Amino acid sequence: MNDLRLRRARRPLPSRPLLLGCVATLALVLGACGGSSSDKKVAAGGFASGLPTDGQKRGGTLKLLGSEGFFHLDPGGSYFQLDYMVTYATQRPLYYFKPDDPKTAVPDLADGPPQVSADNKTVTVKIKSGIRYGTNKKTAITGKEVTAADVKYAFERGLNPSVANGYEGVYFPLVGADKAKGGPISGITTPDAHTIVFKLTKPFGATTARALVMPLTVPVPKSYVAPLDAKQPNPYDAQPERQAFTGPYMISDYKAGKTITLVRNPQWDPKTDFKPAYLDRIEWTIDADPNVAGRQIFSGTGLANADTPTAGAVKRFATRAKDRITFTPLGNRFVGVNTQRKPFSDINVRKAFAAALDRRAMLLARGGPLVGQLATHFLPPTIPGYDEAGGAKGTGADYLANPSGDPAVAAKYMKLAGFPSGKANGEKVVMLGENDSPAKETAQITRDAIASLGFDVSFRLLDQSTLYSKFCGVRTELEKIDVCGFAGWLPDFSDPYAMLTANFYGKSITAVNNSNASLFDDPAVNAAMDKAALIADAGDRAKAWGAIDRRLVDKVAAVPFLFDNVANIASKNVQGVVGQWIASWDLAYTSLK
Amino acid sequence: MARYILRRIGWTVVLLALVSAVTFVIFYALPSADPAVLRAGRQASPELVAQIRARLGLDDPLVVQYWTYMKDVVLHFDFGFSYQSGESVRAAIVSRLPATISMTVGALVIWLATALPIGVISAIRRRSLLDRVTMTGALLAISAPVYWLALVALYLFASDIGVIPIFDGANTYVGITQDPVQWFASLLLPWLVLAAGFSAFYARLLRANLVEVMGEDYIRTARAKGLPERRVVWRHGVRAAITPIVTVLGLDIGVLLGGSILTESVFNIPGVGRYAYDAIRTADLPAIQGTVLFAAFFIVVANLVVDIAYAFLDPRVRYG
Amino acid sequence: MTAAAPLLRVEDLRVHFDTDDGTVRAVDGISYELQRGRVLGIVGESGSGKSVSSLAIMGLVDGERARISGRVEFGGRDLLALDPEAMRAVRGNEIAMIFQDPLSSLHPFHRVGDQLAEAVRAHRDVSRAQARARALELLELVGIPDARRRMDGYAHELSGGMRQRVMIAMALVNEPALLIADEPTTALDVTVQAQILDLVGRLKDELGMAVVIITHDLGIVAETADEIAVMYAGRIVERAPVARIFSAPEHPYTWGLLASIPRLDAPRGEELVPIPGTPPSLLGLPRGCAFAPRCPYAQPRHHEIDPRAEPVPGDPAHVVACLLEPAQRRRLWAALRTPERA
Repeated sequence: MNDLRLRRARRPLPSRPLLLGCVATLALVLGACGGSSSDKKVAAGGFASGLPTDGQKRGGTLKLLGSEGFFHLDPGGSYFQLDYMVTYATQRPLYYFKPDDPKTAVPDLADGPPQVSADNKTVTVKIKSGIRYGTNKKTAITGKEVTAADVKYAFERGLNPSVANGYEGVYFPLVGADKAKGGPISGITTPDAHTIVFKLTKPFGATTARALVMPLTVPVPKSYVAPLDAKQPNPYDAQPERQAFTGPYMISDYKAGKTITLVRNPQWDPKTDFKPAYLDRIEWTIDADPNVAGRQIFSGTGLANADTPTAGAVKRFATRAKDRITFTPLGNRFVGVNTQRKPFSDINVRKAFAAALDRRAMLLARGGPLVGQLATHFLPPTIPGYDEAGGAKGTGADYLANPSGDPAVAAKYMKLAGFPSGKANGEKVVMLGENDSPAKETAQITRDAIASLGFDVSFRLLDQSTLYSKFCGVRTELEKIDVCGFAGWLPDFSDPYAMLTANFYGKSITAVNNSNASLFDDPAVNAAMDKAALIADAGDRAKAWGAIDRRLVDKVAAVPFLFDNVANIASKNVQGVVGQWIASWDLAYTSLK
Repeated sequence: MARYILRRIGWTVVLLALVSAVTFVIFYALPSADPAVLRAGRQASPELVAQIRARLGLDDPLVVQYWTYMKDVVLHFDFGFSYQSGESVRAAIVSRLPATISMTVGALVIWLATALPIGVISAIRRRSLLDRVTMTGALLAISAPVYWLALVALYLFASDIGVIPIFDGANTYVGITQDPVQWFASLLLPWLVLAAGFSAFYARLLRANLVEVMGEDYIRTARAKGLPERRVVWRHGVRAAITPIVTVLGLDIGVLLGGSILTESVFNIPGVGRYAYDAIRTADLPAIQGTVLFAAFFIVVANLVVDIAYAFLDPRVRYG
Repeated sequence: MTAAAPLLRVEDLRVHFDTDDGTVRAVDGISYELQRGRVLGIVGESGSGKSVSSLAIMGLVDGERARISGRVEFGGRDLLALDPEAMRAVRGNEIAMIFQDPLSSLHPFHRVGDQLAEAVRAHRDVSRAQARARALELLELVGIPDARRRMDGYAHELSGGMRQRVMIAMALVNEPALLIADEPTTALDVTVQAQILDLVGRLKDELGMAVVIITHDLGIVAETADEIAVMYAGRIVERAPVARIFSAPEHPYTWGLLASIPRLDAPRGEELVPIPGTPPSLLGLPRGCAFAPRCPYAQPRHHEIDPRAEPVPGDPAHVVACLLEPAQRRRLWAALRTPERA
């Protein structure tokens, strides 16, 4: 009587490769929409744009229905899509992506753009004055103004095990961080109350400056929070209603796994902020059943989804309430092949494989045009560099020209690889895949493509957790496998560095928790990435990373096949605004109608 | 009898210790995420991971970790903190217990109130129209997956999304102390859904038992004594037919108190089942451990109660 | 025989069960009378209809599947015509019954005393205490040692003989005019059998009731019964005062039964087959005498003619349904009993 129904895997935003968080339920959309709606229709729409408009209504309560809990609501630990939704509504990071522009971060807590030194090793940020802390219960910190020291402390406590920030070391190579252990970091100084200076161990300023949108930059007043940080578990995380809030809302009540309630922050001064903050109150149900939630949002009022809607809900909205569903691209999916082992160590075999792969069938197996668009390179549309890498058309590589695959091109490259017949002679290829739909179906399509090249594919399907924890994520195992599952990535923030390095940078090959699925370690590409990370100018940076993306396609670091679409649904009287860079509701912009 | 109960309680404690030990070992022996790495995030420095490991006590030998855990459980009734939310596991379970108990007790009342008369009447009026209709219905109710049944119930009757909106639907649960009327209204549909399968199962079980019992010699004796048929059926027939059912019933109650995941899920009732499920999904050892112990506790206690109750119900198995 | 109105008069009682395979004529037209204070033994193999006929008298045959006809006159009323509630008032009150297996016939979960008291209160408007007092009285009457303690005990705690005594006590709490004992000793040790039979005989005298003892074993009723009816295939084939059955049995089937009276050293509880062959299926009985297929003396015409029960010439109390000539029967019996004497 108590059979467990597997819920959708949590979709981690930044810290985990997409391969752990596939949106399995969207697969059913295929049957519903695949036949009737063409790419054009989806693109052109009829669907809600999810963009902010003039004259949105003020006031009211929005109810969110989600089926997933939070990981960390402490801004120092907040690192997942749902965590972000709350953190960005209740706290002010140094910079913010406005919902309609995922490529340009604007100063939020910061006053003006970050100043990066010529040597790229110092980043200086000015902080607005007049931003004050709001709290639920009156404390010594209530109404106190935010200072640069509070941002400094936020970075220091990030290295404290009771906060344990997941990305501080990746984007902020701070001087003295290695010795800090939660204590003062010598590389951060605050010349005055409204200036903070980050000193870096390497010329990494351009990337660091872009990472200042991350929740780690949210100010944390040391006098109030340090005593909490001494505790394990940290009350600043476990009881987030105790936080000192800077955003337009504050968490008034949180019951882990059940509900969270956001109310207006009385200390928030709209004059210091660009966010409209239309809603008076947000009531978020954490453990709603996704099937029921989809129906309730469809029929009810004042409701919206908190996390990925079910395929059934997407179908229902896409056919019967187009104006209340939005699709936002987020992240990429690709097939990684072992570039360090025969036969895929030969670039021509990789090209042949890319040409043989029926990527359109892969897209259909995942759910058709609604779930995403065919990818011809790696940077998705919301990330700078997408257009520079070729946009929707791609780089022009002949092995990716035909989305349904091209046997002639495949044969051409097989010949170049030293197979005169255009086919391999039954050489062994080891492939592992997931046994869940739709990953199973895409794995089978991949296997067929490899087999069509004349290889003898040894093919095995495993459950997701075993596959990635025992094989694809473990370097020593991965080295013995030619194709291991599927990979994909969601960027930590809207920047090509955050998008591409995890998967294709040589140094991101790690012993465990490996995210470089192709074991791709190309000195030229590594060098180009190192160089492009330093570029501060947005246009030059996009150009440089677009070029890297092209080079990855040239080298066939992997075979891209999908830029994901994330669906969001809302009730009739809700004007949902989607943060394009994160593909989920921006609660500071969403309103009732 | 007293000695028997004491001995059983002793075994219960040993069993719970074993259950917790096995959970511990399984968690470490099977491939699952390292809580420290999970906590630290991607590309975290090895030092940070090491610090977290030390803080969570993950570096101690398994035996020591187990000892520390059990010491807290036994001495302070402290089940530790969730790796995931940082919440006290005991507080989390205790806060979810009222919902689970509400679900269990309400459904229990409904299913017994329906299963008893249906089972008895269809056993007595075997092959009647009523018997055929109720038993066919019962078969359907048993075969219907609870999750599906719950969705159908909502789509049919929920006040917000139902075709015939007569019951409160999902997300309407409030605690009984908060608003007893709303509590009752919000639970009515979940109760009915949860009770449906059980009711059907028990009606069929009771019917089968009673049909058999009504053929027993002592029923003929009861009739030969000139007892009214009603008394023959209830006091002699049902009394005997229901005794083996008590065993099943006790265990079902124990299992349900450990949490009914699916019904809690569909109606969004924050009970223990949901908590356990989320804990497993997120490799949250303290929460897993707490809910496993908790569920095991209820099942073991239910077993004990069943055995003792059975001894009272069936004098033939009374223990010297 | 006296001309006084009999306590029980069964007239052409038939119990037919309709099954998917056809009609089972479990009891196919039996008639007998029983006076107050007298004991009738009904003897026959299993399946001969002896138990069913008694259950039919008690109104305990499932009416939905059975067709019952004839008359069962008891104290001037036709029991078959009574409504269920009136019949219930008779059961356990005016007519009581005890069964073959006292363990399975007593409720396993109810206390012995409660089961007796319940029988009292089913028919008497008395308090619980009064009912229990009556129950205790009866338990003592049937010779249960330490009866007061046994009141609170359960059936499984008693020995087989004690259980049957409890059954008897329970049957007699309301001082019935008629006790039907269906194989009351079959499940018991031979020594206990005698005790129980003695008890029944003694109580019959004390309470002045009539008794029907149903058995497959003529030996059981030899001492206790006044009259014996031998049943075969749903019919009474011979009925006579007990002495006559033993001294001058008329029916070949009875001869066979007499030959199979178990001795003390014989295995207990064994259904002895008196005559080669097995009782006929009650589904579609053969034409003619039902016993003919097993009867060593049957003549071809016996397979055609249905014998009628007729008094033995010169002995109106002795009735037999046999197609053999009376003279021939006497010769055959004389020949049969001789070797036994030798």
